[in-house]
Amino acid sequence: MLGILSGMDVNESMPWVEKYRPKTLDEVIDQEEVVKSLRTVLRTKVMPHMLFAGPPGVGKTATAHAFARDLFGPEYIDVGLFMEINASDERGIDTIREKVKNFARTIPLGGVGFKILLLDESDQLTDEAQHAFRRVMEQFSSTCRFILAANYSSRIIEPIQSRCTVFRFRPIDERHVVEALKRISARENLSINEGATNAIVNLSEGDLRRAINLLQVSATLSSKIDEEVVYRVAGVARAADVRRLLELAVAGRLVEARDALRNVLYVNGVSERELLVQIYREVFYLSIPEEKKLKAVSLLGEIDYRISQGATPEVQLVTFLSHLASYASEGKGR
Amino acid sequence: MPPRERGGEWETALVSSVPLVEKYRPRRLSEVVGNEDVKDQFLRWVTSWSRGKPKYKAALLVGPPGVGKTSLVYAYAKEAGYEVVEVNASDRRGAEEIKRIVGESSRQATLGATRKRVILVDEVDGLVGHEEVGGVGALASIIEKTEVPIVMVANDPWSPRLAALRSRAEMMKFGKISKRDIMTRLRTIADAEGIKVSDEVLERLAEKAGGDLRSAINDMEALSAGTGRIDPELMVTLGARDREKDIFEALGAIFGADTVNPGRIAALNLDMDSETLFTWVFDNLFTQIKDPGAIAEATSFLSEADLHLSRARKRRVWGLLKYGNCILASAPGIVKRRSGKGGERFAFPSKIRFMQETGPRRQVMRSILGKIAAKSHMSTSKASYHMLPYLRVMVGAGRLGVAEFYELDGEEVKVLKEGITVPMRGRREVRRGTRKS
Repeated sequence: MLGILSGMDVNESMPWVEKYRPKTLDEVIDQEEVVKSLRTVLRTKVMPHMLFAGPPGVGKTATAHAFARDLFGPEYIDVGLFMEINASDERGIDTIREKVKNFARTIPLGGVGFKILLLDESDQLTDEAQHAFRRVMEQFSSTCRFILAANYSSRIIEPIQSRCTVFRFRPIDERHVVEALKRISARENLSINEGATNAIVNLSEGDLRRAINLLQVSATLSSKIDEEVVYRVAGVARAADVRRLLELAVAGRLVEARDALRNVLYVNGVSERELLVQIYREVFYLSIPEEKKLKAVSLLGEIDYRISQGATPEVQLVTFLSHLASYASEGKGR
Repeated sequence: MPPRERGGEWETALVSSVPLVEKYRPRRLSEVVGNEDVKDQFLRWVTSWSRGKPKYKAALLVGPPGVGKTSLVYAYAKEAGYEVVEVNASDRRGAEEIKRIVGESSRQATLGATRKRVILVDEVDGLVGHEEVGGVGALASIIEKTEVPIVMVANDPWSPRLAALRSRAEMMKFGKISKRDIMTRLRTIADAEGIKVSDEVLERLAEKAGGDLRSAINDMEALSAGTGRIDPELMVTLGARDREKDIFEALGAIFGADTVNPGRIAALNLDMDSETLFTWVFDNLFTQIKDPGAIAEATSFLSEADLHLSRARKRRVWGLLKYGNCILASAPGIVKRRSGKGGERFAFPSKIRFMQETGPRRQVMRSILGKIAAKSHMSTSKASYHMLPYLRVMVGAGRLGVAEFYELDGEEVKVLKEGITVPMRGRREVRRGTRKS
């Protein structure tokens, strides 16, 4: 069944999001104002703590790396001047504090006189943990500058915000997404038509990482990429599991829907947060009456809030699925 | 449920003396409570040895725990002057051990030893080995040659392990002890021990024991320890003897509820935390209630119960548990009653099975996500959302380079590819709605 792929080179295929990750500030796409401010820092060597806020896939982490590389040189990580901690995967603020302590307790010799610590996904920290982290920032600010990356600046406590210069990263402009797609396609010897680039632009909603991933997945199907190819691969790759479980629910096959949900949550390791986002995207395409879609959206908001309050994701999401089943069966009854 | 060690559980609770179950173990056949016909059958079999060769040289005593299987053997032995040589199959496994003891006892019998012996093999359903090898096979061949009566005890008569023994032994089936008989026996012991206890409490103890006299005596002893009396309110502190049976009864009560009863969970007296009980109820919902509207309503209630219970646990405000428990215990029955019928048998929660079955895959997936997260500068959760779906299709389509980039091993590649259909050109996938503007 992989017949049409047989002629392709199956070895040269590292993830393009890594291959085309910007190495320097020059390569950062869009985000002109952010880059301009960072260039000033490069020139003056005066660096405040910084908060990078913006949606996923617009270059927050990449920009932090590119900036550090420009400032410290290509060996910026190996020489111990830059460290990245992901707040979401750390066991707690104590672990983070230990890591920062080990990293920042020595004053770097020569150079600019400080190190940089990137705390990625910092809005995943609880308020208490953020307060603790603020004290860590104070304690080590003589030797270390902090870059915090977050999806929402509003989820970062005021005392941290007020100590940081806030940089807002915007969704990548359509024009820039198209440019990037064309540039990568040329480098990868792909032919991509306008319908396909438009499709990717639509599907990626300003998320360049998603756009590049979609392009690469499309390329696994064909070296001539058109709109149909894009939508087909997107259907499989993006949210295919989520759509399937929603459609099972609408079909009244609740037990199967629940099992599919468990698979997504527990086996594929999709967090309930991400799952809620995906479900929200998919609800509008379900075959239930329009006013029921509104009900579904409202219920989704309710369970989202409950889960944030500590309720059990599986229980809340199954409740949502059983309501979808109920909406669909009411629709049939009429 | 494996038979409990006699009295063992309460030993630490008692400062002095022998546990009551030992102290009041029957000394005569007539003192053995219940199972009168089995007693007769046993007596016929064991006395047939003195009248020459019995038809079966072994007896297989089967029945639930705590109904007097072992007690019967000891009571008879004491009364008739036998020595009981006990081999606990689950303690001292292996053919050699049994062979040695049985062989030795048989030899002594042929040598005309002064004291008659009976060999008691406890927990034969715990024996290792199939018919040909190990304990069961050895025991079967020993039975052929033995010159002394062999009594085997088991809980489950139909255990496949016992096939070879069933054909060589006379089976004697014990039933549960009736509530009445348990109450009578408890009263006798209580009076002899000076324990002050009302008939109502004895009835509850007997009810709870579910035919298991030993557990009823143990319960009575535990509840009266130190005070010599049993306060009726103490009854709730008793854990369930048999979780499985109790949980199914509890499910029956919950799905049969017709009023909102805040005390119902407490009354169920389950040895189970509300989190586990929740899983049992929630997973059985879809087989108990059929109407989609009613299911939605029931899940609404239960999701609110979940919210209350989660808040209570998360904030450690245990006073909030009661709201969740009240809904959990009452809502399923009330909704089910209105939606009418339904009700297949209650089943073990599918969640537990799911987690067991997917254990290895989940572990591999965690490892995959860890590798992606490290190389692509994101958390494992973001990796599962922003990278995994694309990588699955790429690797599924044979682009192993991406797997190499993340240093995935063969097992991880296999798991990554599972369940992925590579979309082919020309095969139409119809999609409802459209994202195009």
